[in-house]
Amino acid sequence: MLARRLARPALLLVALLVAACGGAPASGAPAASTAASSLPATGAPATTPPTPTALTVGLGYIPSVQFAPFYLADQAGYYRDAGLTVTFQNKIDPDLVTLVGQGSIDIGLADGTSVIPAVSQGIPVQYIATIYRDFPSIVFAKATSGITSAADLKGRKIGIPGRYGSSWVMLQALLGSAGLKATDVQIIEYPTYGQGAAVQQGAVDAATGFFNNEPVQLKLAGFNPVILHVDSIVALPGPGLISSKTTLSTKGAAITAFVAATLRAMSDIAANPTLGLDATIKVVPELAADRAAQAAILNATITAWKGTAANAPAMGTIDIAGWTASAAFMTTLGLVANPVKVEDLVRSDMLPH
Amino acid sequence: MRSTVLLSLACAAAFLGLWKLIVVVGNYPPFILPSPEAVIARFIGAWADGTMAPHAAATLLEVALGFTVGAGSGLVVGYGLGRSSIVARLVSPYIVAAQATPILALAPVIALWFGPWLLGKVVIAALIVFFPVAVSAMVGIRSVDARLLELGRSLRASRRQVLLTLEIPAALPSIFGGLRIGVTLAVVGAIVGEWAGADRGLGVLVNIARGSLFDIPLMFATLGTIAMFGVALYLVVVLIERRLIRAR
Repeated sequence: MLARRLARPALLLVALLVAACGGAPASGAPAASTAASSLPATGAPATTPPTPTALTVGLGYIPSVQFAPFYLADQAGYYRDAGLTVTFQNKIDPDLVTLVGQGSIDIGLADGTSVIPAVSQGIPVQYIATIYRDFPSIVFAKATSGITSAADLKGRKIGIPGRYGSSWVMLQALLGSAGLKATDVQIIEYPTYGQGAAVQQGAVDAATGFFNNEPVQLKLAGFNPVILHVDSIVALPGPGLISSKTTLSTKGAAITAFVAATLRAMSDIAANPTLGLDATIKVVPELAADRAAQAAILNATITAWKGTAANAPAMGTIDIAGWTASAAFMTTLGLVANPVKVEDLVRSDMLPH
Repeated sequence: MRSTVLLSLACAAAFLGLWKLIVVVGNYPPFILPSPEAVIARFIGAWADGTMAPHAAATLLEVALGFTVGAGSGLVVGYGLGRSSIVARLVSPYIVAAQATPILALAPVIALWFGPWLLGKVVIAALIVFFPVAVSAMVGIRSVDARLLELGRSLRASRRQVLLTLEIPAALPSIFGGLRIGVTLAVVGAIVGEWAGADRGLGVLVNIARGSLFDIPLMFATLGTIAMFGVALYLVVVLIERRLIRAR
């Protein structure tokens, strides 16, 4: 009788344990390497072509023209020629970093300002290539608002998605440069990213946004934007490619090939933006309804990739000094739980030489 | 009573043990599934260093006000639905439609109308509490024995006397069934409201822990705090129910 009563709970426990054993991969267990093998020597009998390495790539929240290099590299065969088959997923930044750290996603496009606190919390990711040379998160306002510098934000209403993420870090850096704190302004949250519309409608005086999005939309709506950048205050690391330490050790060759192919597509788009626009429209046909707006966003994005500073380094290059300064700055904001070394945050050996 | 407490503690220990077993057997890293001891340590640390308290206070206020407004209006409307078939036929479709619309979809719109401040959160919490309380009140009022009402009328009892001495006491068990559900939903509503826009609250702390700090033990500790609030408030309603129904 007792045995029968205990049977069901015991079966449930066994089921849970089986699920746990078959769940997330052990963080230290290397995945089987599927890197493409070398080509057979000349004159050797024909062999089956090497199996392409499958990579899962995490991009941002929703498919967008900002991810044009990835779409172009895929459609133009750059990934295929590098022996890769690539699958894209769209995730928000916090989920992306965690999933990359876990190994469920091989490579992600994530904010550099997310990597620093993530690594400080023990998430084993590293930043391997810069995609945005200029930090894309900015504060923008209508030119008629009278806001021309960070000091002018005092006492004003500022729209922000939330008190987290790259926009929050950037805003604190900007306010700090003028001796201000978040309590010196009125923060209005727009969790569904409606702060651009809020600026247009006058609900807020200024808002955080991305250099290649909200100010472009504001200009297209007939308002001249004012943009406040943080780059001259602290060189915060912009979005770039990240991967986990385990993935980098087991799929290093494939990751290097992916980075090279992506940078190649970025160069092609910088030379001819129409390539990127057409590649994106193949993925998101709805964007064709407003090509002009998407082209404007892409042009602004290209500017952010290349960087506006004089003598900006080659695309992909990682600014080690900037990372060191950023980690120190974010520590002062209380976002870095445990001290981090820059060599834990970034590695440059995945870049094409 | 003592055996119930011991059994509850044993269940809690078994839950924590199972959690630990899953972490160990699955070899989950802390940023995917932290161990129970890591979450408990973070929970204690967050309360000790002042991280949790202001957010918890903000959420409690939203829950209290949202529950009061939602339950109060639910009781009034529920009484009307129970007493008048015309009211029931006219109003019921709108109430059911409002309940069927996911609050997660409505929350951003409500935040837009009422702003990202306390009022918006109270409205969202009240909306989610309203339906179960209204329905339980309606069912309770309709279940009042007709012979009791006839007896009251024959004794020339006033409307107020019928309400206070016959209808409400008879409907209490059903009403408290709705209040039990409503109070836990008030916590859900407050958190959803915070996700639609807030500068403090346990829902905000979940987002900060997850999206800015990558402090997953803190996220779990915050979720644990939210769950504890729900359980505590539920027990408060149960205690009040026992006192009132015993006193009938």
